[in-house]
Amino acid sequence: MLADTLLSGGLEQLSIVARKGALVPLKTKDEVRAALETFEAYILEVPARWAGAVKDAIHAAIPNLKTADFQHLRRVVQFKYLPVHLQKKYRPPHPSRPRGDNVYQESEDAPAEEDDTARYFLISPVSAIAHRVLIDVLLRNSPFGAAPKPPIVLTISVPALAPCSAEQAAQWTLDYWPISYKNTNPFGPHPNLVARNALEIAPNAGSWLALAEEVGRQLYDLNFGEHVGCVIVDKSRGSHEIIAVAGDCRWRSPCAHSFPRDGTGNVMAHSVQRAIAMVAKKRLRAAGRDSEAASPSDIFCENPMTDLERHFYLQENLSTTGYLCVDMDMYVTHEPCVMCSMAILHSRFRRCVFGRRMPLTGGLTADTALQAKREQTIDGSGLGHGIFWRPTELNWKFLAWEWMDEDSTTMTTTISDTRQV
Amino acid sequence: MNAEEKVYHERFMREAISMAELALRTDETPVGCVFVKDGEIIGRGMNATNKTLNGTRHAEFIAIAQILEEHPVTILNETDLYVTVEPCVMCASMLRQYGIKGVYFGCWNERFGGTGGVLNCHSDTSVDKPYPVHGGIFREEAIMLLRKFYVQENDKAPEPKQKKTRELKTEILPMDIHAPKPS
Ligand SMILES: [Zn+2]
Ligand SMILES: [Zn+2]
Repeated sequence: MLADTLLSGGLEQLSIVARKGALVPLKTKDEVRAALETFEAYILEVPARWAGAVKDAIHAAIPNLKTADFQHLRRVVQFKYLPVHLQKKYRPPHPSRPRGDNVYQESEDAPAEEDDTARYFLISPVSAIAHRVLIDVLLRNSPFGAAPKPPIVLTISVPALAPCSAEQAAQWTLDYWPISYKNTNPFGPHPNLVARNALEIAPNAGSWLALAEEVGRQLYDLNFGEHVGCVIVDKSRGSHEIIAVAGDCRWRSPCAHSFPRDGTGNVMAHSVQRAIAMVAKKRLRAAGRDSEAASPSDIFCENPMTDLERHFYLQENLSTTGYLCVDMDMYVTHEPCVMCSMAILHSRFRRCVFGRRMPLTGGLTADTALQAKREQTIDGSGLGHGIFWRPTELNWKFLAWEWMDEDSTTMTTTISDTRQV
Repeated sequence: MNAEEKVYHERFMREAISMAELALRTDETPVGCVFVKDGEIIGRGMNATNKTLNGTRHAEFIAIAQILEEHPVTILNETDLYVTVEPCVMCASMLRQYGIKGVYFGCWNERFGGTGGVLNCHSDTSVDKPYPVHGGIFREEAIMLLRKFYVQENDKAPEPKQKKTRELKTEILPMDIHAPKPS
């Protein structure tokens, strides 16, 4: 009966209301690091026509300067491109600035934006040369050697790593120093790729999260588990095929002993683990290896527990040639724990969306930002693992988003922050 | 680790290695483990990712399921794990959530390791109680088994891969040790 209603009437028949909201891409661990890491660098105001000579003098003085390490920072810029806080430092003009450039003298009263006689030169990281040595180098060279007062070298903070997106480059240009962006993301998926995928899955994500919520609620009502659930969807062939849905079974007693409520329960029966196991059993079935699909242990709780779970478990909608969960998407009510995050990775999922952050136990997020609309304060800074995208260490990566409800009051949760999902 | 302790731990690691050897004979990635409480083995496991088509069915999962069929979950608080390869991030987190007493392993796992290889799931800040780990017991034997597996798999392939990958090296761990083979 349930199967019929699902086929004919869709989610509404199950009194499932799609969540309204938006997908927010997760930051990768490297992106978070890149956004936070800065170093100190020297900057110097030079007359425009001397910029090249000063640059040569610096490179002669620091022959092993690795400019490749700060290619994302523009080296020589005009006044109008400086961030406002730096513009203020150079206006009014400092009396010790090198003169001797007549054009410059005449233009001193011109509006700053039109002043094109000075250049602002990012010399080097502070670590590359001592300040006193640098001043000596400048004094030995034109135009500073002839200036009445020593040059003013300022020290500023600059982003240590290249930006991940055009937006970030623009923001850093306002906050630090003019940044060049090469339309790549060295620290995560390209913004265009993320946007394209989000566009593809956004129309249904709210429905799948609501379905995950419902499948979790049913097992929660049976006292089998926490109110957590997940849905596995295969969209690789155009249509939406729901491959498996599963709730949490950590409190269920599959064998003689019960799992005491003051503990963590049966960890291997988290909803993500169960759903992945169901996919594997469907694969065995599709390969004609039914007998092997019989659960090796009831502890895994990998057989469907409710009509809803059974409905999707029994659908023959898995291609016979597939491998693990390649091309599949995971929708889960809460941010999966470290174990489940790694299970998603081991299973080669394509994309993952979760409905609520777990700041103390979640394995996917790398940053510590909380959902903006949630007002409760949470201590602890998050694990910071960012398991979805660590390609230099782990052998698979996938795209991941958190869900942001339009109206934060619609999403309630019975899970405490110290629970593992 | 004194001589007496060494003998004790090596005895159980030897058992874990024979589970890994069993895995090798049945075309599974040769990772094996035993769980030990008060000097007695209460559970054994080996990788079963190929048999189950489930990439999460690692030796530790298989053994814990077997243990929990017979024992209350709290027994794990008094139980040590001996496993031939450092637990992956998934298993390391699972073991901590179950409250394992301690983990002894053979070789490190730079690709997936959850107890020092990539992450420190056993000791980093988390809501669950941390556990001690001790690596390097019969390290070469553990690596050798994995190497043998890759040679065996390559020989079975219709066109064996380059000879270079077929040589048995005892020093370097092959990549992707937990990836079940494509069907
Ligand atoms: Zn979990
Ligand atoms: Zn593992």
